[in-house]
This record gives sequence, structure tokens and C-alpha cells, in this order.
Amino acid sequence: MTRPAHPHAMQPRRPGRTRTAPPALPDRFPFAGRYLAYTLFDLTGLLYLAVGFLVLRAVWALGNGPEAWQALREQFANPLYVTFHVLALVSVCFVAVRFFRLFPKAQPPRIGPAKPPPGPVIHVMLYVVWLGVTLVMVTILAGGLF
Amino acid sequence: MRHLLLRLEPLIWLLFGQGILIGTILLTGWLLVVGVLAPLGLVPEGALAFERAHRLAAHPIGRLLLLALIALPLWKGAHHLRALAIDFGGHSRDPAVATLLYLLALGGSVMAVLAVSRL
Amino acid sequence: MSPAAKKTLVVTRFDPDRDEAPRAQRYEIPVQEDWMVLDALNFIKDEVDGTLSHRWSCRMAVCGSCGMMVNGEPRLTCKDSLRQYGDTISVAPLANFPVVRDLVIEMDGFMQKLESVKPWILRAKELAVEEGPMRQSPAELEEFKQFSMCINCMLCYAACPVVSNEPDFLGPAAIALGHRYNVDSRDEGAGVRNEIFRAEGTVFSCSYANECSEVCPKHVDPAAAVNQAKFNAVIDWATGLVLPRGGAK
Repeated sequence: MTRPAHPHAMQPRRPGRTRTAPPALPDRFPFAGRYLAYTLFDLTGLLYLAVGFLVLRAVWALGNGPEAWQALREQFANPLYVTFHVLALVSVCFVAVRFFRLFPKAQPPRIGPAKPPPGPVIHVMLYVVWLGVTLVMVTILAGGLF
Repeated sequence: MRHLLLRLEPLIWLLFGQGILIGTILLTGWLLVVGVLAPLGLVPEGALAFERAHRLAAHPIGRLLLLALIALPLWKGAHHLRALAIDFGGHSRDPAVATLLYLLALGGSVMAVLAVSRL
Repeated sequence: MSPAAKKTLVVTRFDPDRDEAPRAQRYEIPVQEDWMVLDALNFIKDEVDGTLSHRWSCRMAVCGSCGMMVNGEPRLTCKDSLRQYGDTISVAPLANFPVVRDLVIEMDGFMQKLESVKPWILRAKELAVEEGPMRQSPAELEEFKQFSMCINCMLCYAACPVVSNEPDFLGPAAIALGHRYNVDSRDEGAGVRNEIFRAEGTVFSCSYANECSEVCPKHVDPAAAVNQAKFNAVIDWATGLVLPRGGAK
């Protein structure tokens, strides 16, 4: 069943000579076919906002002293928080995979007139950087460095 | 308001784009350790003890990283939720929704600067 | 000779003089094995119901006239084989466009978006004839050639969720066309077009659905063009804050 798109979608500046039927949304939008991944991609915005504010809370607690930091760590041990962080991790991976597929064609890195490397090379380089940075951060945070 | 949003759009998009790229790359390690492994007791005891955590965070690079870990996801989140609102028919309310979301991200970013400065 | 197979086409009909809103009409027709969806529609028009209206021309996927929603996906009906579908196929006008009649959509809005990006070579100063032709190397051609392959079929507009919800958005084909000229070495109008992109055309509204590139029959990859255009528009905006703008006005 078709649902209406915005009433002025693709409307010409002046109406045509005959009455037109209003524009309709694509049938599969927003939860079917490829649109599902797109809608989920947008929905990760909610998780990212929450994560941003949680990191803020953590840094604020760190600034308040040892008791506040310990209290925060105990709160983070709550199964609800752990579940949220697992979900956030899944969504971060989902965003990374989707964005890395787009990035080589959207922002081929360029230094002056030199040609950027081929798309697949940039794609692999992004994964290498992601894994490398993650490894370094995990090592540092888990006490393996510094 | 709409005119102001249009003029700020390039900057907002830049923050959003970097939020996706840099924010995502940085967040994985944080979420894995601070959000999952440490609460489950899978990280050595002293790794995230206050003294060590504070020392790492108060380092200039630590402060910069934490700033990025807070601000970039906020801008990414705000921009995506704005797009979501429009996708579900909210085009006429977009100036108001966008302003609200970006003010939220801006507020969070300002708080982030405060938070890392007081470490 | 074996009897021809039968398929049912559920076609959206709309007569502005008679119908309040579009309605579905079923046609059960004999089909040949090698038919495209367009052949089935032409059979309906020629043999079953002469009132059916639809656009088509070249029958070989170069004119861009025959774009329609086939089973909910934007397709060029002249290159969409009936074999890949089951016994019932729905055919509707392109999504996101006002409908003039049956499967014919209002194109003027699209043409206006195309015109608004100034899709021609812009020069700060026109070359005199005596100065000879503008020379371009194969490498310079490669920069934009892919984006020049667009046949204006509008499938990308039918697939784009931003086009559905933001009337001002220029859309994939128009932005890809503007970007094609921006990266053409003969052109000096990038500054002008980037201002158009940043203004009401609002290129930043693109939210990475990538649907445009998924449905493009000519592999133009408008998503690449739009996102490169965003990046270039930001660089142009940032440099414009500190440096005076040259190029065509």
C-alpha cells in the first residue's frame, strides 16, 4: 500500500496543466529491503548521543575524585549498563562497516595532484587503522601500556 | 533560523563526518574495555583504578582523546536523529528539531571542554 | 507450439478527470519468454486497454524514459526481464514524483533541479576562437566521465529517502551533474555551483542511504558524486572564509 511522500516532493515551481496525484513514498521505506539498514544507520544516532553523554559522565566522575569514579564503575557493572554498552559496540561496528564502504568513493584522500590509491586499498587501510587504534586503546586501558 | 542552519551546515556536516570516522574508530576501544570487559571483571584490577585512570586522562593527549570521545559522537548522534526526524515526516518542524539537537550537541561539547579541563 | 505463459500485471491507474486517487488494475496477459516488462505494458496498451499511458522510447536503456516501480523497486522497464518475476508483477509510477496520469510522472520539478546547478562549462572569461580548442588529457576526462553517463532516468530520485521528505534537496542526478562540471578541467564555475550546493539545494541533506547508486542502471554512482560534492563544498566554504574567490561568477 503506498503512503504519501512530502506533498511538495519533486513539485515543479508552477503547477502543470492537469491535476496530479500526490507523490508516494517507495513501498519498502522505511523498514523493508535495503531501507532497513539505512533506518538502523540513522537510529544509531540515538546510541551515539547516549554514549557521548555517558563518556562525559565518566570524565566528570574522574574529575570529582576516587569515590565518584568508584561509584561510576559500580554503576557501569550493572547488567543494564553492560547490555547498553554491548549494543553500542554492535552499533559502532555496524556504522564502521557501512561508512567504510562509502568512504573510499566519498572522500578519496588526495595530496595535491597525486592520484588517490584505489578504492579497495583505501577500504582495507580503514580497517587496518580501526583495528590498530582499537588494539592500542584496549592495551592502554587494560593496563598493558603506560 | 533556517537561514542560520543553512549557513552553519558545512561546519555541522564536517563535525558529523568526523564524528562518524574518528569517533567510531576511537569509541570501539573505550566501549570494549570501559563498557564491557572491565565491568565483567575481565581486565586486571589496577588497570582502571582511579590513580591510573586519572593520570592517563589528565595527560594532554588523554584530554584531547576524551574530548573527541565525547563531542564527536554527540554531533554524529544529533545529525542522524535530525535526519531520522525528517525521514518520518518532520520536514516542517526541522528548524526547531535541528536547533534543539545541535544545541544539545553544542552543550555537551562545552561540558566536555569543562570536564577535561578540571581533571 | 506450446501455449504462451500467462502473467498478471497489477498496474497503477490514475485519470485526473475521473479518479480521486490512483487505483490498481489487474491485467492477465499471455507473455513471451524473452519479454521485458515494457513489452508486457505495450501489449496491454496495444491489445487490451488502449487508455493505459506510459513513457518509453529507445527500448535499450539509453533514453531514460521508461522508469517505473516494478514490484516496489525503481527499474528501467525496457531492460527488466519478465523471467525474473513470479506470476504477478506490480507496476507503479516512480515514487516521490507527482503523477500526471497512470504511469506518467511530472518531470518539470526534476528538470528545474537540473537547470539550477548550471550544467554547462562556466568560464571566468570566454576563450577567443583564435586561442584554439580547450585541451583535456585522458586523465582529466577520467575525473568526471563516470558522472557524465547519467541518462536522467530519475530512478535515483524514486529511491532516495531524502527526496521523499525534503522538497528543496537537489537530488542525486542534479548534484552528480553539478559535480561533473565542477571536476571538469575546462570549467571554472565550481565556486558558483558550490554556493548553490550549500544554499537551498542543501547537498548536506544527503544521509548516506546509497540507494541512488544501488538503483542506477548506468553505474554513475551518484552517491559518490554527492559525497565528494559535500566535501568539496566544505573545502570551498572554508577557503572562501579567508581567500577571495576567483573563477566564474
